[in-house]
Amino acid sequence: MPTSAADPLLEIKGLSAGYGKIGVLSGIDLTIGAGEIVALLGPNGAGKSTLLKAISGLLPRTGSIRFGGQDMSSANPRDAVSAGLVHVVEGHRVFTQLSVTDNLMLAGYGMSGADRAQRVEEALSFFPEIAEKRHDRAVTLSGGQQQMLAVAQGLVRRPRLLMLDEPSAGLSPVLVDRVLTTAGQLREAGTAVLLVEQLIDKALKLADRVYALARGSIVMEASTKEADLHNRLERAYFG
Amino acid sequence: MTDVTAPSQSKRTRAAPSLLARLEHAAPWLALAIIGVALPLFDDSYIGVIAQRACIYWILCAGLNLVVGYAGQIAIGWVALLTLGAYSTAVLTAGKVMDAWNPYLALLASGVLGGAFGVIVGLPALRLRTFYFAMTTLGFATIVTQVALAWTEVTGGGVGTPGPEFPWPFNPEWGFYYFCLLLAALATWMTANIASSRYGRALIAIRDAEVAAEASGIAKPRLLMTVFVFAGALAGVAGGLFSSLQSYITPDAFTFDLSVLFFIAILIGGRGSILGPLLGTILLTVLPEFAAPLVAWSTFLYAALLLVIVLVIPGGIADLLDYKNRRPLQQHREIVARPELLARVLDRSKDAKPGAIELKDISLHFGGVRAIDGLDLAIRSGEVHGLIGPNGSGKTTTLNVISGYYAPRSGTATLNGAPLPFGAPHTRARYRIARTFQTPRLIGGASVLQNVMIGGTIDGHAGFSEAMLSLPRHHRDEKALGDAAMIALQTVGLETLADVRADRLQHSELRFMEIARALMLRPAFLMLDEPAAGLSAEEIRRLGALIKAISREGVGVLLVEHHADMIFDVSDRVTVLNLGKMLAAGTPDEIRSHREVVNAYLGG
Amino acid sequence: MLQSIVSYGLAVGAVYALIGITYNVMFSASRVFSFTAGMLGMLGGVLGALFINKLGLPAIVGLVVVLAGGAVLGVVTEFIAVRPVLKSIEQHLYVLSTLAFALLVQQFTAIEWGTDAQPFPRLIPIGEGWLDQKFWLPMLACALTIVGLEFLYRRTLVGRAFLAIAEDSYAARALGLPETRLRIASYALAGVIGTLAGFAGAQILLAFFGNQAILNFYGFVPVALGGMGSNRGAVIGGLALGVFQQAANFLVGGIFASVAVFVVFIIILLLRPEGLAGASTARRV
Repeated sequence: MPTSAADPLLEIKGLSAGYGKIGVLSGIDLTIGAGEIVALLGPNGAGKSTLLKAISGLLPRTGSIRFGGQDMSSANPRDAVSAGLVHVVEGHRVFTQLSVTDNLMLAGYGMSGADRAQRVEEALSFFPEIAEKRHDRAVTLSGGQQQMLAVAQGLVRRPRLLMLDEPSAGLSPVLVDRVLTTAGQLREAGTAVLLVEQLIDKALKLADRVYALARGSIVMEASTKEADLHNRLERAYFG
Repeated sequence: MTDVTAPSQSKRTRAAPSLLARLEHAAPWLALAIIGVALPLFDDSYIGVIAQRACIYWILCAGLNLVVGYAGQIAIGWVALLTLGAYSTAVLTAGKVMDAWNPYLALLASGVLGGAFGVIVGLPALRLRTFYFAMTTLGFATIVTQVALAWTEVTGGGVGTPGPEFPWPFNPEWGFYYFCLLLAALATWMTANIASSRYGRALIAIRDAEVAAEASGIAKPRLLMTVFVFAGALAGVAGGLFSSLQSYITPDAFTFDLSVLFFIAILIGGRGSILGPLLGTILLTVLPEFAAPLVAWSTFLYAALLLVIVLVIPGGIADLLDYKNRRPLQQHREIVARPELLARVLDRSKDAKPGAIELKDISLHFGGVRAIDGLDLAIRSGEVHGLIGPNGSGKTTTLNVISGYYAPRSGTATLNGAPLPFGAPHTRARYRIARTFQTPRLIGGASVLQNVMIGGTIDGHAGFSEAMLSLPRHHRDEKALGDAAMIALQTVGLETLADVRADRLQHSELRFMEIARALMLRPAFLMLDEPAAGLSAEEIRRLGALIKAISREGVGVLLVEHHADMIFDVSDRVTVLNLGKMLAAGTPDEIRSHREVVNAYLGG
Repeated sequence: MLQSIVSYGLAVGAVYALIGITYNVMFSASRVFSFTAGMLGMLGGVLGALFINKLGLPAIVGLVVVLAGGAVLGVVTEFIAVRPVLKSIEQHLYVLSTLAFALLVQQFTAIEWGTDAQPFPRLIPIGEGWLDQKFWLPMLACALTIVGLEFLYRRTLVGRAFLAIAEDSYAARALGLPETRLRIASYALAGVIGTLAGFAGAQILLAFFGNQAILNFYGFVPVALGGMGSNRGAVIGGLALGVFQQAANFLVGGIFASVAVFVVFIIILLLRPEGLAGASTARRV
């Protein structure tokens, strides 16, 4: 399996997680190299969102997580963000009562004032559509614009790994392309992206590698250059 | 929890409880009874006063226990009813308003008055959340005290009014003590009976698993109000006795501290128990008397005790005493369902006609979003209808529409041709429509058997009073219910765990327990909301077999699921939803090869 | 008489409003209704009287010490009574833990500093009659608090972080906001506001341990009616309640005034359980 020559950026071994008594994931092994885009696909209920939450620390989990050479197995979301691992949750959950700028400033909570202001501008430069609404409250943004804002929030920290949970959900095809193009731009800048997506074809076109998750386990791992991916995915999904 | 309720049911279809087990259960009660009766032998009037006070407090707490410990309503200001009872007895016997009453009649009147006001104090509980309701009860307590202060002609205002003396044989000292003891024993007996009846279980179901209670047909308002009346009556009687004990009452005898004491006694004792709060009440009454300097600090200590309990042992004394539930469970347990028992559980009458639940062109909006858009769906007797689709496609919403939680904006829903009313989910049980939930709804502190018996609540015949007085019809109910629940547990393969606290079960076992509870309704239609989530492959197979067997008994099953393979394996018909619209409908084979479905599922 | 009703009503209403805001600040940070709001108000008066009257501290110093004490108590509340129960599934426990803690403090106060209502010193020798400073001090405190909170929420990042957590604590956590630290800060802030309310209103309400129960209830009414989490609603509700109460006092007498307030409150709550402002109900199934 293709991995980067040096230590992978993110290395997960034997990860298990769930909600209370309900076990969802078991024995997940996964690696992501610096600067690559990895797609995480799978049917509903497979545990894709759960996996992202387990990685970023939003859910308790067991198993080993190493990020950038550091052990993050018991890190909380705050530690993860400081280390450069940023999770954009599903459902474009921005703070509707605050302005666009405020939303972005909060993403940089803890940074020095000057740094923060600069990074906010950087993030906005990816999405000129919302840059021109920077003083408006987020509630005035459309769903697609809110999603762009949510992704922009993820960019403020200049993450080494950005995890996007279904960024295309509820978006028009044009906006979906906008968001996915941004992911491509990030790759060029050296940021790795872990992308959970429902739109398989678009995800396969963008990503370097793909994992398929079904019934709480990894059922397939491949490079997107390999042939016959679509059929292999179907078989992996339906068992 | 299991101290009073378990033994009479759990051993029903198994060996009758041994003499030793019966003695073990009765031991604390016997001990208390002996101490209570023998107390006068100490011939210490100081002890007598304390004991009388403990009995009177317990009479109130026994009723309040049902409100706080069982129904889970945070009625902090319950002292209002004690005040009411005390003043009504005192005033009636003093002859200030009309000719002096006989003290016993006055006591009875206080009980009736307490019951009536119990409803008033409790009414907000039907509409308000926990904290809000707690505040209203506090307000009531303040109001009653203020009225007592102001209504000088009747209550004597700040000066107060004398309390009654009861005539022979219950005149002061030990005669009165035995009167209080007798009433306390009566209160204990009645509340214990209610606790171990379907009403007690229903109360706990409302407290811990309200939607499951609704699905089992339990109507919250009526049950809560009944309990408030009963508890209010007991508090009123306690108040009357209190006024006699104090022999002179003033408004500042009824402080917030006293109310808190009652409340804390019940929580220290543990929710869902009779013995626990009883010991808690005795403890809190007796404690300050042991060291004189402690009296000033008594409320401080109560509060500290409450804080410790909440943080460290939320289950209270009852939890500490529940050593039966600390025995380790078998590690690798398998759920072996026995579908062959289904016929006995479902008890379908031979002339049960096949029917259907039919949804036609249902539309439902949440805000601007179309949750369901023009859906047709039919659940027929003897058929398993699978419902699949991506997240947010409207599967659970559809189920909730049939359950009665949401009223559709347009379209019709019929049961065997007759329209299905909305907005009253608890009526579905009567229509023999049962369901399970996406996340198992259980009463953690109750045993598995008790949890399953909740499902059969509406099949009981005995009324509240019959349960309270432990009349024969109540016992027949309990036996029938217990037997039926055991068979249901055997059917799903959980009978060995019948007496175990439900929160000790694994997730997969809880899923099967929910099915057993649903089967208790002897349903004509069964709706399952993602029952396979979190189950192992083997368990999913057994679940599938069970579901198929259930449908073969003539039950119409709606199966909402993510596990596509399970759906295709078990269903007779499949409907695929996407974004609230019906994407495809047909037999499993048709759907499986349906190009659009595959794409929607994979996302194209 | 009208002036008396208005000045007294607005003054005591301002105190109620501030206690309501105290409830709101704690609720926004933790989704917990804490019984300590009334406790903080009570302590503002009791401790203020203690420092200024008994210990002879100048009024300003006394105020600062009292506010600091409030902050400390707020943090202690978060640590002892709120954080442990946030992890638990049983929602009702926070009602009991905060009630227990508030009672502890109240009883300690009663035992240490007596159960009689003590007079509170006159703070500023300005005004007389219905314009006396004892009437407009609470209103001033209320105004300052509102201005201060506006500044906090609109101008500082911390304040905006508070707003973020109040709106969506899950998204805030995912974004990497220091949830626990912010919650502690919120409770400290609530401590300051609560004790300020008690201190400013103590000339009217006196330094009295029994104020805790009174403020708990009457400080809650504006929140219930105005909508939980809404400071604007708390202020309007508090001032209206204060004036209504005073008017009822004069018209029907003190005792029935409280009956009147309570009855009206219950009726409104039963008709509109979410408060007059209204709020959405969560999906249960």
